[in-house]
Formats: sequence, C-alpha cells, structure tokens
Amino acid sequence: MLEIRHLTKIYDDGTVALRDVSFQVPDGEFLAVIGLSGSGKSTLLRCINRLVDPTEGEILWDGTDIAKLKGEDLRNVRRKIGMVFQQFNLVKRSSVITNVLAGRLGYSASWRSLVGRFSAEDQQRAWQALERMGITNQAHKRADELSGGQQQRVGIARALMQEPKMILADEPVASLDPVLAHSILQHLERLNKEDKITVLCSLHYLDLVQRYGTSVIGLRAGQLVYQGTRDDIRKMTDAEFKTIYGEEAVRIGEVTGGVTGGVGGKE
Amino acid sequence: MNSKARKVTGEQKPSLVSPIVAALSSLIIPGMGQALARSLRKGLVLFFSLASIIALWVWRVRITARLESTFFDAVKKSFYLDPILLVVAIGIVVIYLWNAYDAHITAKQERSPSGFVLWTLVLFTFFFTGWQIGDIRPLDLIRDAQDAGPNLQRILWPWERAISRPEELLVATVNVQIPCVDPPPSPSDEVPGEPYISVSPTCGDLSQQNGALGTTLKLVGHGFAPNAQTEIWWQDDMGNEFRQRQAGEYITLVTDENGAFELDVIIPYRIIPPSETRSFALWELQARQIASLGKPEASEELLLSIEKMIETIFLGMMATFFGIIFSIPISFLAARNLMSASWVTLVIYYLTRAVLNIVRSIEPIIYAVILVAVVGLGPFAGILALTIHSIASLGKMYSEAIESIDPGPIEAIQATGANWLQTVMFAVIPQVIPPFVSFTIYRWDINVRMSTILGLVGGGGIGFLLIQWIRLFDYKAAGIAVWFIAFTVAILDYVSAEIRARFV
Repeated sequence: MLEIRHLTKIYDDGTVALRDVSFQVPDGEFLAVIGLSGSGKSTLLRCINRLVDPTEGEILWDGTDIAKLKGEDLRNVRRKIGMVFQQFNLVKRSSVITNVLAGRLGYSASWRSLVGRFSAEDQQRAWQALERMGITNQAHKRADELSGGQQQRVGIARALMQEPKMILADEPVASLDPVLAHSILQHLERLNKEDKITVLCSLHYLDLVQRYGTSVIGLRAGQLVYQGTRDDIRKMTDAEFKTIYGEEAVRIGEVTGGVTGGVGGKE
Repeated sequence: MNSKARKVTGEQKPSLVSPIVAALSSLIIPGMGQALARSLRKGLVLFFSLASIIALWVWRVRITARLESTFFDAVKKSFYLDPILLVVAIGIVVIYLWNAYDAHITAKQERSPSGFVLWTLVLFTFFFTGWQIGDIRPLDLIRDAQDAGPNLQRILWPWERAISRPEELLVATVNVQIPCVDPPPSPSDEVPGEPYISVSPTCGDLSQQNGALGTTLKLVGHGFAPNAQTEIWWQDDMGNEFRQRQAGEYITLVTDENGAFELDVIIPYRIIPPSETRSFALWELQARQIASLGKPEASEELLLSIEKMIETIFLGMMATFFGIIFSIPISFLAARNLMSASWVTLVIYYLTRAVLNIVRSIEPIIYAVILVAVVGLGPFAGILALTIHSIASLGKMYSEAIESIDPGPIEAIQATGANWLQTVMFAVIPQVIPPFVSFTIYRWDINVRMSTILGLVGGGGIGFLLIQWIRLFDYKAAGIAVWFIAFTVAILDYVSAEIRARFV
C-alpha cells in the first residue's frame, strides 16, 4: 500500500510542481496518472523514488516514509521500485545485457560490480528477464542499435532485475507509435497481473488509460483534480476530461479513432 | 507578418530633405544625404567604407612613392609605379559621385538598384586595395615558376641522399729523384689489386723562379676507381705535402672507365734552402683518389631523419600523455553541468574557462620560444610547450564532452538503488569515454604535426633538422625530412580516424 500525503514540491526556481497531493494506491493496482505536460506527473513519480526530493509531505510505503530516507536506507527502498522512462534512459553505448544487469546494482554493492562483473545468479536472472521481454537475441547488441520498442523492453527488463514490488513508468509509450505502445503496456499489464507488481504509469492517451488502468488520478497544474476507478474511467465524460486537460483539449481517442481498434493484440 | 508590415512603413517614412539637398549633402560628407533621407545605417556604413578606402589609398600612395616630398608628386609617381593605385583612385571618385546619386534616389524613395551598384563598387575597390597591399603579382609567379624547379625536384625526390657508400682514400706513390744523379730510382713494385703509378723519366729538374719550366714527367697510372676524380700531390724529402699546379691551377684528372690515366706533370718550383748540401733529393709523386666504394649503406641524413622522426612521434605522445593527466581534473572544473550548483563553483567555472581560452589561443611555438630559454634546446622544451597547449585544448574538449552527457541514464541507474560510485561507473564513464578517446587521439595527431614545427625554434624533433638543412641549402637532406613528416602525418591521420571511428 502506497499512501501519498500532502505532497508538495517547489523547485529552486520557484516553480510549484506539486501542491498538496494526497492519494492512496492499494497493492496490485495499475494506476494511470494523467495530465497535461507540465502538470506534475513526472515530478510525482520521481518523488516516490526520490530522484526528486519533495519539499513537504509524506510518502508512506508499507509503513515507511520514503520522503525521510537517506543513504543506504533510501537505496534499499529504491531497489524495490523499478522505473521505466519515456526516453528509455539506457546507456546507449553499452550492450543490452550490461544495461539489464545494471538493474541489479542495488543488490551487489561489492567492488566487482564496479568493473561490470556480476554473479552467475544475476546473469541468469538477466537472461530470464530478456527472455520474458522476448529480446534474448539482441542481448549483445549495443543498446542504441535497437528500435524504440525494443529499447523500452530493455528498460522494463532492467526494472525487472530489481525484483520490484512497484514500477514507476514515466510516459513509457510517449515516444512510441500506437502499436508499440500497446505492446509495451501489455508487458507492464502482465507484470502487474502475474507478478502482482503495483504499476504507476503516466499516460497521455485516454484510450490507453481506459484500456489498461485499474484506477486513475488526474493532475492539473500540480494539483490532484481527478480520482477514479476502472469503471469511472470507462464512463469518463468529455467534461471531466476537460477539467484535467484544460478547455482546449480534445479526446485524442476521438481524433485518432483507430488507436484501440484492431491493434490491441499485436506484439 | 507584423514585422514585415513595419519594415514597409519604415521604408516609406518620408525623407527629411529634398532629393537635391540629399545629393548635395552626400557630396559634402558621404552618406549624410542617405542619413537625412532616413537611411541612417546605410549612410553610416557608406561613410565609414569610403573613409577607410580613402585612408588606405593615401597610406599606400605614401608607401609606394615614399621619396616624393609633396603629396601631389607622390600620387603621380605612385600611379606610374603601381597602376592599381590609379584604379583604386578612380573607384573612389566613382563611389563618391555614385554616393550623391544614391542619396538623391534614396530621398526620392524610388525603387532602383543604385544601392546594389554602390556596394558592388565598394567591394571591388576594397578588392583592388587588397590586391595592392598584398603585393599580388601573378605575372611574376608564372614567369619565374621554373625557379622553383631545381629545389622542388630535390625535395620531391631526395632519395640518392638517403644512401651513401663509405669513402676510401686510394693512394699510389712513385719516387722522383731531383735533380738527376746516377743512378735514377727504379719504378716501385706493383702490388696486385692496388693502384699503381709510374713516371718516366724517374728523375728531373725543378722549375725555376724565373719561369723556366722543369722536366716534364710522363705519369701513367692504373688500378684506380673508374671515372673518378684524382688529385696529384707531391711530398718532398722533408715530408711537406703540396698539390700539383699547372699554369696556376690545381690539377684534377678523371680516370677512364678502366680506372687508368695518363698525364704530363712538370716538376714544380720549390725553394731549396741554402743549407742544403746533399747532391739530390728524393721526392714522392702521389696520385690520390677519394672513391666511394664498398657496399651502399643508409646515409647519415637518413639515419638522423629516422631518429628525429621517432623523437617527434614520442614528443607528441608524451605531450598528449601529460596533457591528459592534467586536463581531466581541469575539465571537471570547466563543465557547466557539474559546476552550476552554487555561485562559488560557478565562479571557478568561469575562471577556468577564461584561463583555458587564453592559454589555448596562444600558439605552442610561442611557448616553445619561451621554454627553450628555460630548459634549453631539445625535445623537453617542445614537450612542455605542447603540454601547455594540450591541457587547455583537451580541457575544453573534455569539459564539453562532460557537458553533453545524457542525464537520463544517470537517473535510471540511481533509480535502481545504485550508489554514487556505481552510478559514475555505469552511467557517466560509458558516455564520456568515447569522446575522450576520440579527442585524445585527435590531439596526439595534432601534437605530432605541431612538434615538426617546434623544431624550428629548437623545441626538438625533426623540425630542428629540417630548418638546419634548409638554411644550409641542402634541399635533398631537407627533402628526406619532409618525406618522413608527410609519411608520419598521413599514417597517423589514418590510424586516428580508424580508432575514432571504432569508438564513436
């Protein structure tokens, strides 16, 4: 159970990214976070694993306040929280397998990890993660030789290496075309359902939110403006959508029409 | 849309004065009419262009005819000496008049290409001024091009100089009795495989101070190196050696293709000391030959060039090596993304940047001149000079590589629970190494090329030899050095391109 209480983040330049945000995520949820760019989605996700230090508020995860952790305690919590990024954030010039093994760094603090040597067990785990993502044949390629969709799967494999209880996905499909977007989200969905990993995923397309989210929160200018369940999302009206996305927004699903239809099953 | 509209109205802003007044004021001060017609920028540019052209022209006229006392005479003389100055003068007059016409047009706000013509004229006048200042003489270049031929040939194909044969002194001697007293000496014994000479007769009289010639001896020799220069020497009975002259000139003969020769030798004049009591003296006649025999071997020039080329390569390498050591820590101080945390670090960043830029902008040859005075001639001065320049240059390049790393992977590795050192090893180093390697190899390439120049001021390396040989007009030896430099630079260029392609 993740509980955010009165979370506020004000950056050094005075930008208020989050203002008094509170919500709860029960274990095993697939929480979709929606909102315009600049609404605070990324900051929210980064506060949870403390890539960004919150200004105020509490982040309670199974009773621990992540906001107050430091040093080794923080690293130990971080390694249980996987993260997937919009720009994949792979080390481009390193091989795929090295990138995946890097996900294990939090568990192997020894000097051997510094020179890129991992235990046989970790290596086996890395191969399993690649197999699960269906990219074992790419293992020895440089990360930047892979296509966008493949890179994101490496990103998920890296998160899997952490044996996470929770995955933070910061617009994981915003750089991908709709077909790949479904493929990646289905991977996340499978982890959510099969491994009972809580997923917090920020998304742009309402269609994707309706298809994959089990619950949803909406942010607007750093404030929580919407909170709903799976059924609420399905019934979401244009008016509600506009409270989140602003008056100018249109439902992207209506414009692009066929995003959901027919491509869902493709891998 | 908006800005375009504003521009149109700007052009249509009415002139402050009538076209005639504009033209007249431009005749008084160039560009003033345009300024009054609300084209201030055009007027200013025109004024300064014309002013600078006129100033340059006056300066060149003075320099070309510096002996003339009055300016008018100087102008006349300079037109005669260098007609381009006349062309520039005409250009100035035309521009001046056109400037008035252009003011007229500008004030009338007509669309005409007068401005274009004006700027073209200005450009051409500057071009001719530059031609005159640059002392450009294409005719001389074409006419005297062949003067470059012999030296160029020596530099382009210097390889005879790369091989030498050890020199050997071949001497054959024969005794001559002076004057003839019985019995005359018998010819010396012939040794097989050695050069041999004989004279007939084997005795004779000296030439006299009054000009009477001495006995003519028929000198026959064989067993010498073929087609080689041979000198004739005497050695008197006191051991004094002197070279045979005939009609005031030293005798130099050339052997035939069998190594044999024949020559008439007149016994020269020589003061006989009054104390001389012996009835005769026994002199030795010698035929001497310096022959390049033996196996061909690498010449001294070739060996020196190779030695110094190796020195040059290592000079560049050591300078690069020291450059890396010092520039890596400095580059962190000069990387904005690492130094923007507080104003203190930001000040350090700006200071480092400023110092790097200043140090980098001074050529290594200047450091070399200074350092030669400190540590003396030789490669150490060159290494120091190149190191200083490399530190600044690599420091800047490295810091830019650090600035351009993608923060994404750092974030991602941190998110896995990695500690600081692990993050650096996995997210920073892999991103920074390829550009570092690339810049370093490129720098080595530059340093080797630069070190060939540093020799000119005594900074060691092959440039030292090159300048020495050029000053001795030994263009073939210089050619060997030039070839080695060209080879090395080409190979290094290729190797560095290959390595960089592999890393980036």
